[in-house]
Amino acid sequence: MSFALDDVGLTHANGYTALSAINLQADQGERIALIGPSGAGKTSLLSVIGTALAPTAGLSKVLDCPLDITMRRRNDLKSLRARIGTIHQSPPIPGRQRVVTAVLAGKLGHWPAWKSTASLIYPMDVSGARAALCRVDLADKLFDRCDQLSGGQLQRVGIARVLYQEAELILADEPVSALDPALALTTIRLLVEEAKARRATLVASLHAVDLALSNFSRIVGVKGGRIAFDLPADQVGIPLLNDLYASEGAELPMQAREPYFVLPAAANDAANRIICC
Amino acid sequence: MNDTNRDPAARGRLIGVLTALIILWPLFQAAQVQPGALFDPGNLKVIGNFLAAFLPPEAGHEFLGYLGIATMETLAIATAGMVLAFLLAVPLAYLATAAGREKSALNPFTRGLLTILRGIPELVWALVFVRVFGLGPAAGVLALGLTYGGMLAKVYAEIFESVDAMPARALRHGGANRVLAILYGLLPQASKELASYTVYRWECAIRASVVMGFVGAGGLGQLMDQAMKMLNGGEAASILLAFMVLVFSADGLSGWLRRAIDIPPSGRASPFGWRSLLVVLSLIGGITASFSLLELGFGELFTEDAARGISEFIVGFFPPDFSATWLARVGQGVWETLAISIVGTLLAAAVGLLLALPRSRAPFSFLLNTLRSVPELVWATITALAVGLGPFAGALALALHTAGVLGRLYAEALANAPQQPALALRLSGAGSSRAFLYGTLPGAAPQLIAYTLYRWEMNIRMAAILGFVGAGGLGQLLYFELSLFHYAQASTVIIAMLALSIAVDQSSAWLRQRMR
Repeated sequence: MSFALDDVGLTHANGYTALSAINLQADQGERIALIGPSGAGKTSLLSVIGTALAPTAGLSKVLDCPLDITMRRRNDLKSLRARIGTIHQSPPIPGRQRVVTAVLAGKLGHWPAWKSTASLIYPMDVSGARAALCRVDLADKLFDRCDQLSGGQLQRVGIARVLYQEAELILADEPVSALDPALALTTIRLLVEEAKARRATLVASLHAVDLALSNFSRIVGVKGGRIAFDLPADQVGIPLLNDLYASEGAELPMQAREPYFVLPAAANDAANRIICC
Repeated sequence: MNDTNRDPAARGRLIGVLTALIILWPLFQAAQVQPGALFDPGNLKVIGNFLAAFLPPEAGHEFLGYLGIATMETLAIATAGMVLAFLLAVPLAYLATAAGREKSALNPFTRGLLTILRGIPELVWALVFVRVFGLGPAAGVLALGLTYGGMLAKVYAEIFESVDAMPARALRHGGANRVLAILYGLLPQASKELASYTVYRWECAIRASVVMGFVGAGGLGQLMDQAMKMLNGGEAASILLAFMVLVFSADGLSGWLRRAIDIPPSGRASPFGWRSLLVVLSLIGGITASFSLLELGFGELFTEDAARGISEFIVGFFPPDFSATWLARVGQGVWETLAISIVGTLLAAAVGLLLALPRSRAPFSFLLNTLRSVPELVWATITALAVGLGPFAGALALALHTAGVLGRLYAEALANAPQQPALALRLSGAGSSRAFLYGTLPGAAPQLIAYTLYRWEMNIRMAAILGFVGAGGLGQLLYFELSLFHYAQASTVIIAMLALSIAVDQSSAWLRQRMR
């Protein structure tokens, strides 16, 4: 069992209920896509699984640690969090930091204090950082400063950090919203490959339905703070999706359609190049 | 480790650190840093006795009367000086700034004048004016007016240049003249910063007017100087307390004013309400009261006698003494002053950062405010007792006051730095100190470095005058020469101070550019 949420609810201090009656279990190594209209509670759900927010109702267990007990003990919480890697919607990396340092920061939860401090003076694991960056096709930016990168490149640095962290549970909140369609596809494939190879659990919230359906075996639809459906990808049909996105107008959110359908070969090339690296 | 895995920045960093050490080592030597002196039993006894005499603070009726008058006088000097400075700064800033000009033309003449006004510390102006007008507040007001006029003008000019220039440019293309383009296009964007900086400067002027009392320009400083010279701890304690109350309330008032500027106008034609009226009335009242209390008699400035006196006095400064022996002594003074300023600023940065870090702010803010409210020169009289006369006392005094200033600025910068990166690191299991080092500090570092370097620019001016109370450097030279009426020698020292402060401004700007 990777995580288990049992009747979990989340009500903010201002009285707004972000999540209610969430029941969701995942086995180690499962790969789940969260879809749903914006404001549905996808980010809140990921925050609860990632121990960023404590649920206000229900029972939850992450990586076999019961959250209500763990949250109270600082060291337990720290070592649990070191096993969870989160890819954020906007990469939380200071502009003046160098790419190598930003990637190495993924292991701060594992490294002893002397190593983390020394690494600020001289990067302690250049080859590890290079390998992680290589997989997101950014090895040439290893020693650049993060404020010299484009938004999409910075997002991939954030992904490289989580790859380097080698987390057992990877949470990704709209990980490819800043990337162009071809790169988005290759990046999602990379995350799925990574999860498969290391038997890590992957939970990704995605805005583009097609990306979710074509890459993930299990799809969880979220709407109004509740779970609308939880099905294998091949059982998620158009009516179900139309229902999920009823508030967003007539069309389902997809990757920018033309490049995706016109250039699958190019996308595959890029994907293969990255995976081979 | 193979070649590709070597950090290409490492060599540069190593060279940078070594260079810094090579430069800093002799500077620490020159500042005669001897932490041991702090714990020397003889010194401990002197400072202990002195501090013990602080209790109980002097509260006799007669003394409290003097204290009240001196406090009013200090306030009045600061306010009158600021009025003068403001009147001087507005036209100068208008001439100096590139804002609202269609072609960005810098005005070297005005800029040069501003540099000279700012570059010579107010205490030196005060010392000079005291010779012309005799003891009393007039010298202080004029000195404040000139120095702060230069500072205000420079900062006003920079603020106008830093806001978005498009609105003014559009107005000028639409046919408006430069004044109107600035009033309608730039002032709305800049007004908050301008007002906030002016109020902040007034706060500084209060501190400065205390300091100028030490050279006989009246107010609390003069009282403090007498109490210190007689080692009368009780009186010194009362004066310090009065002074802290003054600075704390000025601080509170300026905070209130700055917040009041932020309140959006209500829906009527005139943007000014009862609050503005109140501020304007109290401003007029304060200014009138200040000038009438001080009885400056600037009219005497314009009599024939005074004119002759002043011109004779000024002529006495020329030509400056450029003989080799004197230049060598001045050079030594420059080196010592530089050492005091750098050692003081570095110590202050370290202490300030430590005091800025803890998360429960209240006790530390109080400590920082206390350190900050006591001017460097007052600290110097105390540190001189603790470690003996000399540059180390000056560096310590500088460090104590600056630690208060920097600690407060650092705490603000750290609170304003983006929190997201540190939060994300904590979510992946990093402890709070590591999340700070990897997540918060890189975001705040440019701000911290800029504050430190700006402070160094101020401290070089301050280090130049700490010598007035025996803390070494150029100030000591100047004080001696002026007391002996050696104006030609004094003139060389003033030129050296000016050159030093310009050089420090330049290198600080260069360092800020490099470390961005």
